[in-house]
Amino acid sequence: MSERHPFKVLKKPKIQSSSLVVGWNEDAGQLGPGVIDYLTGELGGERFGEIEPEDFFSLGGIRVEQDVAQFPESNFYSCHENNLVIFRSTPPGFEWYKFLNSILDVAEHYCGTKELYTIGGMVALAAHTTPRALLATTSSQEVKESLKQYNLVRDMDYQTPPGQRPTLNSFLLWLAGRRNIAGVSLWVPIPFYLVRSEDSRAQKKVLQFFDERLGLNIDFGDIDHAIQKQSEKLAQARVRLPEVDDYILRLESNLRLSQEENERLTKEVEEFLREEE
Amino acid sequence: MGVKLYKRPRLKNPVMIASWPGIANIGLIVVDTLREALKAEEFGEIEPWDFFYPQRVSIKGGVLEALEFPSSKFYFRKTRKQDLIFFIGEEQPAGGSSVYAEGEKAYQIANLVLDVAEKFHCRRVYTSGAAVAPIHHTMVPRVWAVPNNRDLIAETRKYENTILMSEIEGREGQGNIVGLNGLLLGVARKRGIEAICVMGEIPVYLQGLPLPYPKASRSVLEVLTRSLGIEVDISKLDRWAEELEQEIEDVYRQIPSEIKQQLEKLKQVTYARPAEPSPITEEDKRRIMEDIDKLFKKRGRGIE
Repeated sequence: MSERHPFKVLKKPKIQSSSLVVGWNEDAGQLGPGVIDYLTGELGGERFGEIEPEDFFSLGGIRVEQDVAQFPESNFYSCHENNLVIFRSTPPGFEWYKFLNSILDVAEHYCGTKELYTIGGMVALAAHTTPRALLATTSSQEVKESLKQYNLVRDMDYQTPPGQRPTLNSFLLWLAGRRNIAGVSLWVPIPFYLVRSEDSRAQKKVLQFFDERLGLNIDFGDIDHAIQKQSEKLAQARVRLPEVDDYILRLESNLRLSQEENERLTKEVEEFLREEE
Repeated sequence: MGVKLYKRPRLKNPVMIASWPGIANIGLIVVDTLREALKAEEFGEIEPWDFFYPQRVSIKGGVLEALEFPSSKFYFRKTRKQDLIFFIGEEQPAGGSSVYAEGEKAYQIANLVLDVAEKFHCRRVYTSGAAVAPIHHTMVPRVWAVPNNRDLIAETRKYENTILMSEIEGREGQGNIVGLNGLLLGVARKRGIEAICVMGEIPVYLQGLPLPYPKASRSVLEVLTRSLGIEVDISKLDRWAEELEQEIEDVYRQIPSEIKQQLEKLKQVTYARPAEPSPITEEDKRRIMEDIDKLFKKRGRGIE
């Protein structure tokens, strides 16, 4: 009996030697989903396949978020003109090795993928007015060299701290390396009080990199508008809520807040942004 | 997915002793102590990626250098009396929030371990774990033994300081062994391989603490070394057990006196048959267990 594939390809995309961009639905500052939605919208991404959920998610019921029933989604999109494959998914609950291999199987066999980019947000104890940095970890020294003309932090040293586990992006980067696919993990530090909201500035930082690296010719009009709107809202929050302004001022002066103050700032900002929506 | 053997040692009817983490890591400490004391040599491993999420990533100068997975390794040691194979799993392939493996992955990894046992013609497999019991921490833990076929019962009865499930009051020979330390026994039975699980007792009020309990491992080691006819130096384990006993005493002193009074009664609990009439009543036992439960809920500790 042959083993069934855990994925379904609806239509074979007409692309070769493509680049693959991967983002996860649950990401700090909505970085992955924000970047991926922008790319698929801008580049006319067409859904061509999916990974079936039953092997990777507990399907004992559904989760409700902001009043709406959720269901795991793991979709592939192709952008023919740009030779780009995009994968957006809910992070799998188990069988991670099989799931991540399935992504690379589809990308390699149906789209001739030669390079991988993963997107991930990380929590930073910084103010939202701080310019966003873009960090990159790579699957090899050669890939690292190929990134030197971009404005990236490329010399990160890191070891998983005790009690924590590596991210799915690191797992995927490792797998790509084993398959000789050039891999880059992109990370943007997200101000901690925007982790559960959207961080449009961070999203733009990643989009700018892709625009330059892959020659995408992206129109940044919509994201610039989103950044402006969010900046205005946060400025209003600072005017209306002096406590919030005080916390952010201290962060801007590189001062640390206590755990309790961090939590209060996050709560106030999240509530304010929600009310303003 | 599979087993990778780096070498094929010539072993004569070896015994395999296997363990994965569990409550207070009692079984794991047993196997690791034997492995270290006998200077056993690593000779193979189970490839981890199908079973485990990685535990550590190392990035140097922006380049991913290594991704480490929990290990599942085989070791061997030839001794005059008995050749031995040890298997130590650093984690159970649990997949979700539980520490214990279950379902397909558990079955697969149990079979891979037994593939090695069969390849080397192991005459028997031992697993080891914890038995949560209403005992006091000052008592010497006994060993609960569960064989996977009836023919082994007579032999098991001869082990010192060891009891069978049928000798435990109220159990009528029944019970559960959670996770791979138990499952391996069942899969071995299915494949016609003799196996016995030896579990060291841990006081019920210590099971949720994030502490090892080497005192119970010591009891298991005594049983195993005698039945295998081997001698090992366990002085290091003894010192560790003494240190831990001191730590437990320190915690014990801080327990409110009304609860301590109840816990003290555990020194007189005889829950194994045959026994003298128990000096405390069933009602006493029930109250002790309720108080212990309340105490540890209050301390916000979970059960492993």
